[in-house]
Order: sequence, then structure tokens, then C-alpha cells
Amino acid sequence: MGRLRPLFDWLDDRTGFRAGRSHLLDEPLAPGVGWWFVTGSILLFLLAVQLLTGIVLTMYYVPSPEHAYDSVRYISDQLPLGGIVRGLHFFGASFIVIAAVVHMLRVVSFGSYKKPREVTWITGVVLLLIILGFALTGYLLPWDQKAYWATTVTINVARSSPVVGEYLASIMRGGADLGALTLLRWYATHVFLLPAALIAFVVAHIYLMRRHGISGPVRERAGEPQPFYPYHALKDTIAMAAVFALLLTFALTVRVPLDSIADPTDATYIPRPEWYFLSLFQLLKYFPGPLEPVATIVIPGLVVGALLLLPFLDRSPDRHPLKRPLIGAAFVLLGAGIFSLTYLGFKDSPAHADPSYWGPMALAGREFATDTRCAECHRIGGAANPIDNTRVRRDPEWLLGHIADPEVIAPGSRKPPPGSLNESQARAIVAYMSKVRAGTTPPDVTGDTHTAAMIYGRFCGGCHMIDGEGGHQAPDLTRAGEERDAEWLREWISNPEEVDPLADMPPFYDRLSEDELTIIANYLAARK
Amino acid sequence: MCPGEHLPHPDAGRRRFLSGAITAIQGALGATLAFILGGAVASPALGTRRTDWWPAVPLNTLPPDQPTPVTIRVTREDGYSQVVDRQVVFLVRTGPSEVTALSSICTHLGCRVSWDATDQSLKCPCHGGVFDRTGAVTAGPPPSPLETLATRVEGEQVLVQL
Repeated sequence: MGRLRPLFDWLDDRTGFRAGRSHLLDEPLAPGVGWWFVTGSILLFLLAVQLLTGIVLTMYYVPSPEHAYDSVRYISDQLPLGGIVRGLHFFGASFIVIAAVVHMLRVVSFGSYKKPREVTWITGVVLLLIILGFALTGYLLPWDQKAYWATTVTINVARSSPVVGEYLASIMRGGADLGALTLLRWYATHVFLLPAALIAFVVAHIYLMRRHGISGPVRERAGEPQPFYPYHALKDTIAMAAVFALLLTFALTVRVPLDSIADPTDATYIPRPEWYFLSLFQLLKYFPGPLEPVATIVIPGLVVGALLLLPFLDRSPDRHPLKRPLIGAAFVLLGAGIFSLTYLGFKDSPAHADPSYWGPMALAGREFATDTRCAECHRIGGAANPIDNTRVRRDPEWLLGHIADPEVIAPGSRKPPPGSLNESQARAIVAYMSKVRAGTTPPDVTGDTHTAAMIYGRFCGGCHMIDGEGGHQAPDLTRAGEERDAEWLREWISNPEEVDPLADMPPFYDRLSEDELTIIANYLAARK
Repeated sequence: MCPGEHLPHPDAGRRRFLSGAITAIQGALGATLAFILGGAVASPALGTRRTDWWPAVPLNTLPPDQPTPVTIRVTREDGYSQVVDRQVVFLVRTGPSEVTALSSICTHLGCRVSWDATDQSLKCPCHGGVFDRTGAVTAGPPPSPLETLATRVEGEQVLVQL
């Protein structure tokens, strides 16, 4: 710094940066301010990581229902280091919720919210709400099944509030339905409104912390105050590094989930919120019908209200936790309640469908898509992209119409290829294309499973749904084996009228060989 | 600092060590974040564009020695999306089964050149660049000849690498 000294002297003369730095770093801390007092710095650091990773994500993310999902998939799967950035942002959200709760519990146990720090505490509670607001608005953005359905539930929860419910829900949706306008306003809230609020309240919180000084240990200790830098700053730094190492480990080793793209017509998807909202979600189940506002408004409102009023409810000057048994008991009770509701919520969660799993329809569709009639247009340099390189942007009905007769969709532009695929095959191709869009690679399937998938894709999928793919007219066969055994299924498929004279299903003994009948019956019977 | 100007702080050595530790740890944190975030921002910019062979036209549709503009549909990945680029190239049949392909992008500032049959030259509308049928500059500001693209004849089909 020797030679640059005149430059810094000049800068200091014009800006006073040395006094500012010393004001920031030389704050005297009461003796006994130890490791318990690093929680706030961890939180601040994690928020900074969210801000930085969030900025990078916005360089690639597109807030529109047509593009959001593909842009998130691009970040996760294709962009170099993109998966890590998304991982840091995704797991960072959970880390922040945990860090905020730990910080709050530290403040509560040390009685740091007491006079004169009431307003510091209130800004802290507001910050906690802002953080939860980030979490809530953030998970709509990928526009996958979880995003869509969890947001639908959130908005309906708001709708259940008395008097203003409908208006509130409409404002949250931005229109009559959940769609492009909803995504845009949640995005704007997530990247403009909430960060602005967060920064304002963080500045206020830190200003107030400095104004009153760190509360320090519950009983004053003898000794000289020490400056913040470097003694406590090192503790903060070590804690930040440890937390970041843990966060980075998550981001590097755990794949951030991305369901298949949002499908408003899907009746099979069971939404589950992120773990930090699971307790609220579980609470809903105990207050059915007209009592619902108790779970959605009254209980959360009471908790937030009590938190905001805590410094005025507990006005005794003694900060020792054992001298405040009521407050301690209240927080233990609240914690136990949230913990057990979360636990019950986890236990109640259905096994999640694995988006990388290929059902029989997608497997069969992959082979149907190689049909030479498709390749008349779907080829390199042709009128349309090769099918395995096409991103589906149309709904299944359009695709089914297109596969049945391309000219219906594009009149005059091309000759319809002779013949067409049946509805089951068309649905199989649609299933295949949605797997391609989800960026999953097809599994290597051979033998009877392959034969069964081909039979299913050719004959069954037009009417029967399996793994969420196929027609709606006939029963879902995803768990066919739970009700019927292979023998019964074989007889039924061969000739339903022999089993039940009133059966609607056509017989297949004339279209499937004896072996094929056995294979498809065994395949379905094994599905439980 | 002259000796005796300031009395050394009794704790100066320890302070210096702690400051060094803080700088080192925070430096490592910052460098890790900068690598991940900077990498994610810069990486698409550093990648090279992938090329492929694209079918252009049947060989017998090309008149000999005459640049013919051909539009090729090139499907390419553009970040998260797929776009279809309709790229124009000039195909010149130089032999019974030899074809050269000239890019239609002017080497001056990237405008599109077009074939002027009366002058038998390729002209750029922007700043008056003129190229002959081999792509060599005959007039105007372009600094280098038009880019020649790799071609291949497969059966009757001309393929161009783009």
C-alpha cells in the first residue's frame, strides 16, 4: 500500500472512507459475545448468495408459460455450471429458512428482543415473512407440475379467507385463471418487489443492531470490550465458510428436482409444497369445510401476531431463559407443533412419480415415431425437425389430430401420408415426445417387457391410461395387478364377453397370439 | 513507519494473523462464487457453434458455373430454444459432380450479398462491396473474399456444411 498511499489519502480526503471503514469494523463488542452471535452473519451471507445466483439465473430464465420450463431445463442440464447455480439457489432457499429460524431462536433464548431492541425484533419478523414470500413465489417459476399445482393450492388458500378472499385470489392470479399473467406477476414479485423490500429491511435491521449494539450474553461479564474486527469477524467468516461448504456439497451432489411440464388437465398429480410449508399444508387437513380459515388465516395470523408482539408481551428486564419459563414453553410448543405437522405431512406424502421413468406408452411411441411416413417431413433439412429433435409445444389433442392426418392441421401444404396410425399409437408417440421434452434418456428395455410395451402401445393405450399416459374411456391400468391376477387378465383380454356378457371391450384373441396374450397379461398383473 | 512513531499495539501480531485468516477465507469464498457464477455467465459465450451437413438441392438443378442462391433450413439450438435459421448460400457447379458453396454474408460488415446476373457478380447492398463468382473481392471495402463452405455430393443431393 506504500506507493498507493497518496492515492488513498486523496480518496479518504474526498470520501472519508477510512472513518466509514473503522465505523463498520471497530464496533466494540461486550465480552462474551461468542459463537452464538454468528447466526445473523450466516443469514446475511446466504441472502447475498441468493441474490448473486438469482441474478445469474435471470440471465437464462424466461418468465412465460411457453418457455419457462425449457429455460429451467436448459439451466439445469445444458448450461455449464448452470446446474450448480440452480442448486445453490434452490438449496440456498432451504438453508435460509433454517438459518432464519436458528437466528430467531438464538434471539429468543438470549432475550435479545427486549427493550431497547423491540423494533429490531419487529424488522426481523418482517424479514422472516419476506423470506417465506421469496420461497412461495420462487417455486412457481420453473412451471413444472409441482410449481403449477402447489401454486393452485396456495391461491385457493388465499381464496378461503373471509370477505376479501375472491379479490385476493384474483390479484394473485392476475386474471381469472392461473397462467401467463400469474407467472409474470409472481416473477416480478420475486425479482423486484421482494428483493427491494428485503434490502430495505436488512439495512434497517443492521442499522438498529448497530444503534443498540450486540446484546451479548444474558448476564454481563467482566472484561474489556473487543473490537468486532478481527476477533468476532473471524468467527463470522469461519461460520460462513462452513455453511457455504455444506450448501455447495448439496448443490454438487443432489440433483435439483424438475417435474414434467405443468399440465392443467392432469388429474393424477398430487401436489406437495416444499418442506417448510408442509406443516401449514398438513394443518389444512384438520380443518375441513367452513373451518378452513382457522388453518389458513386464524392460526398462522395468531402466530405471526404473537411474534410481532413478543417484546411487548414479555417486558420483564431479565434476559435469562430460565427466568422466562412461559416464553420458553410457548416456543417449545410452537416448535413441537410445526415439527410434528411437518413429520405427519412427510408421512402422508405419496411416493413421487419419477419423471425419468419411461412407461410402456413412451417406450412403444419411440418405435412408432420411426415410421417412414413421419420421416417424409420430419427429417434433417426437411419441412419439420426430426421427431427426436422436436420440442412439443402443442397440446395432446393437436398432436393426435396431426398424427392421424397431417393435412387437417396444415391444409394444402403437404400430402397426407397414406394410411395413419391408430389412436393408441398416436397417444404413444405423444407420450414419447413428452419424455423427450423432459430431457430424459430412454431406458434399454428388451424381452417380454419390450413386447408388452409394444402390445400396449398398439392396442391398449387408445382407451386405457397407464402411468398417466393413454386414453380416458376405460379403467386406468397403472396398478392393474392389485385387483386381478394374470390368469383372469389373460381370459379377459382374449375375450371379455366370455367373462362378462355386458363387456364393452373388444376381444383380442384374433389380433394377439397365444404368447402375446400371456406376455401382456403377465406384464399387467405384475403392476402393483 | 519510523520507530517510535506509534507504540505497537500489544496484540498487533495476533491481530495481523486473524486479519490474514479472514482475508484468506473470504478470498476463497469469493473466488469459488466468482468461478461458479462467472463460469455460468461466460460459458455460452465461449462455446463454438456446432456444424452439421444440411441437404441443399439436387445436383441436376444447378446450372454450370452460375452462382445460384439456395435457402437451407438450419435447425439450431439457441440457448433453451430451437430456432430455424433460413440461411442463403450460393452454390456454383464447377464440374460434373463438383460444387462450391459461398456464404452470402459480406465479409465487410455482415450484410447479405445477392447475385447480379447482368454484371455477373455478387453485390453487397450496404457499402458497395463486389465479389466475383469465386468469391474474390473485385471492388469496395470488403477485407477478404466470401467464405467458402464445405460441400459434398451424395447421390444426386448436394450437402453443405453449416
